[in-house]
Amino acid sequence: MASSTFPTSRPPFFRDTRVIAVVLQLIFLIALALTGWFLYSNMVARLAASNTAAGGALSWAFLNQTAGFGISEGPAFRPDESYGRAFLVGVANTLRVGVVGIVLATLLGLFAGIARVSTNWLLSRLAAVYVEIFRSTPLLVQLLFWYVGVIAALPGIQEATELGNLGYLTNRGIHLTWIFVTETGRIWLAWLLAGFVLGIAASWLRRRHLERNGLTGSAALPGILVFLALAVIGYFAADMTASMPEATAYELRRGDRGTLFEDVNRNGVYEPGVDRTLAYVPIKLFDREGRVVATGLTEGDGTFRFINLPAEAVRLEWETPAPLAVSEPQLQGFNFRGGLSLTPEFAALLIALVVYTGAFIAEIVRAGISAVNKGQWEASRALGLNTGQTLRLIVLPQALRVIIPPLTSQYLNLVKNSSLAIAVGYPDLFNVSRTIVNQTGAEVQVILMVMGTYLSFSLITSLFMNWYNKRIALVER
Amino acid sequence: MTTEIRSTTWVNTNHPAPAQKPPVTEVGPIGWLRANLFSSVGNTILTLVTAVALYFIVTGLVRWVSGAFWQPVWENRKLFAVGLYPVAQMWQPAAVLLMVSALFGLSAGRWGSIMRNLGVGLAALLLLFAIIPIGAQAQLVMAAGLGLLLIGYGVGARVPIPSRWLALGWVVSLPLTFILLGGGVNLPALGVRWQFAPFVEVNLWGGLMLTMLLAVVGIALSFPIGVLLALGRRSKLPVIKWFCIGYIELIRGVPLITLLFMGMTMLPLFLPSGWGNPSLLVRAMTAITLFSAAYLAENVRGGLQAIPKGQYEAADALGLSAFDSLRFIILPQALTKVIPAIVGQFIGLFKDTSLASLVGLLELVAVGKAVIQQPEWLGTPGGIAREVYVFIAVVFFVFSYGMSFASRKLESKLGFGKRQ
Repeated sequence: MASSTFPTSRPPFFRDTRVIAVVLQLIFLIALALTGWFLYSNMVARLAASNTAAGGALSWAFLNQTAGFGISEGPAFRPDESYGRAFLVGVANTLRVGVVGIVLATLLGLFAGIARVSTNWLLSRLAAVYVEIFRSTPLLVQLLFWYVGVIAALPGIQEATELGNLGYLTNRGIHLTWIFVTETGRIWLAWLLAGFVLGIAASWLRRRHLERNGLTGSAALPGILVFLALAVIGYFAADMTASMPEATAYELRRGDRGTLFEDVNRNGVYEPGVDRTLAYVPIKLFDREGRVVATGLTEGDGTFRFINLPAEAVRLEWETPAPLAVSEPQLQGFNFRGGLSLTPEFAALLIALVVYTGAFIAEIVRAGISAVNKGQWEASRALGLNTGQTLRLIVLPQALRVIIPPLTSQYLNLVKNSSLAIAVGYPDLFNVSRTIVNQTGAEVQVILMVMGTYLSFSLITSLFMNWYNKRIALVER
Repeated sequence: MTTEIRSTTWVNTNHPAPAQKPPVTEVGPIGWLRANLFSSVGNTILTLVTAVALYFIVTGLVRWVSGAFWQPVWENRKLFAVGLYPVAQMWQPAAVLLMVSALFGLSAGRWGSIMRNLGVGLAALLLLFAIIPIGAQAQLVMAAGLGLLLIGYGVGARVPIPSRWLALGWVVSLPLTFILLGGGVNLPALGVRWQFAPFVEVNLWGGLMLTMLLAVVGIALSFPIGVLLALGRRSKLPVIKWFCIGYIELIRGVPLITLLFMGMTMLPLFLPSGWGNPSLLVRAMTAITLFSAAYLAENVRGGLQAIPKGQYEAADALGLSAFDSLRFIILPQALTKVIPAIVGQFIGLFKDTSLASLVGLLELVAVGKAVIQQPEWLGTPGGIAREVYVFIAVVFFVFSYGMSFASRKLESKLGFGKRQ
């Protein structure tokens, strides 16, 4: 009888998978550490040999040094401020173009995506052509085309193309008529916030009521009504109760320009940083004889300036503004004042990002809508819903589940792609960081800051979108 | 006992009128128009509005294209194709083109599917440039390329060349391209110096050739790294898994342009002082490869996730080692599944190489910028920027759209992306 040779002892340690796993990971870690050390020591050696302003050391002291360069747009920045603040201004500029771009690209993409699945042959073909052209060419080429080929080719300031009352197109920028929140609008903004909170509360209560009683109906509607009611009431309330600050004062220079401000320390002189400027306040300028020589609004920074006055102004009167003011751009000398001004760089970057990303979003929307089973359309038709209702009530809610994940990555792409700003000179995060590197030589530190910033954008956006995605995800039994 | 069966069938002898044709408003061109353009009042309005918009777009475009000033593009066609590459040595890029054409022909004949689709596209381009009078020699090269492609197709379709040899041919073609374009091998660090023609410095390479080279090198070199990263991300060993996740998410979280600038300024810092500074091309290729690897890893991971668990278990049951099961069972299936995704990534990378113009490489967009700056066109009213950028956009469009079209045809053949 053959004896069993079944092994009873454990395998030798070098064949034990648990041991192998630990050893493999250790080897990997050691290799990684050695590579890292090799790269790091090379870098330190080379930095020490080179003669950069950072002194070869990986120091962060440069962040507090005076930048010495100006930033053409975004939050006000003076050359005597620090590199650290210059970086923050860059971050703000990236966020500015990123947020506006995301909103506009979503609208364009949604429109083009729905047009793409439209039963109207002509419209769907046109949308398809748009999507294919802009998806298949590099964003950089499109950006340069908009910047050099379109915006730079617009007429000069004096011959600006007029868009009715909406604004002007010039090769020095796009100037739009815009609605601004004025000085007294702050009170109205508080009303809006209250309306938002109460609206959410109302719709939550309504939802609970509906669920408890097994009723059907819209939970969002009461919330929206509450919000709108408070917005309207708040507007009139703010308009009636608002008043200008007691210590309002003005500074008038050369008889045609100056600043309107709240004289915080009541010394009668405008001091930037101490006194608060008053934005979008209606003003009247009077000459020595008491005749009105000009009327208008102060600008966002509290300044005003009028060209070619019939007489020198000596006195100014202001009125309490409504919460919202419409400001139209007006040609004053060699540039437009008032309204919303977009620099050519910002406009080109925004148009390029929106048109490019919009094409990708359109494709995502199309794919999401076609992912909804055809039977859903047919069932909805059978229930007597029309195309609009079917799309809104049946198809889009289901398509959204397919759309959200790729949409998130498009949003992230848009923010990352805004780094192409360097090609046209818009001072975004990356462009400003290159200026800082060129001046300080702090290559490694700045790269770390830039990458850290983009990574945190990615992280925040994905966290938010994951939360939203979870909310709308199909609840399975 | 029998029962008389009486016929219960009833035949209508009262024939109805002969079948009528459907009304003209329901079928044919008129029916199509009604169904697709004028099905309702709203639809009709939509059609009319779109038609008016289309009319303005098309007429504006036609007027612009016919009135545009294309001479700068035409006269700089060599610059757009190969950059500053010396005219006397143009036979070297031509040799590369012929080699690639032949390989494409063989692969299209042997493997079919996406290779055939791409081969048809390449043949069409070669034919186009053999006909357009771009220059006698260049046209001859294009015609020869077309000939090689067709011969290769015929050979590949009939002779059963082992797939492995063909794949080896593609792998070898990449370093061979560099040797052919460079005029030899010049690696001072290794003490290698061999040449068959005067060396052509990489800063003279440019135009579409460089754009292609950057994209192809990016995808080819990132392939092994990407596969390893994808496998590492699915590994059970936490250290390796988290390293791979960290790498992939870090790279995917930052724009390519930051990596390109980092490659330009920091790559030399990481090398020992004795090694000198790598050329701009090498730095850009390193950055593009490291960037592309992270995206490729995610694509490959998608393919790995699509493999049913039974395949792993079956490989284990057969007693295959972990390596063998990957090599013979898992990767062949996973990689076939992700071909369309990798083609998509190649298209993206092809477009992204335009960013190399921002770090000083003379690829297509940089050539365009240089052409716009040429003194002879400075007096042109309105400038020539529009013409140049539209031309570059068309070049990118032809390649990107062609590739995505080929890939989509493959997808529909494989049955991907089909739901109901």
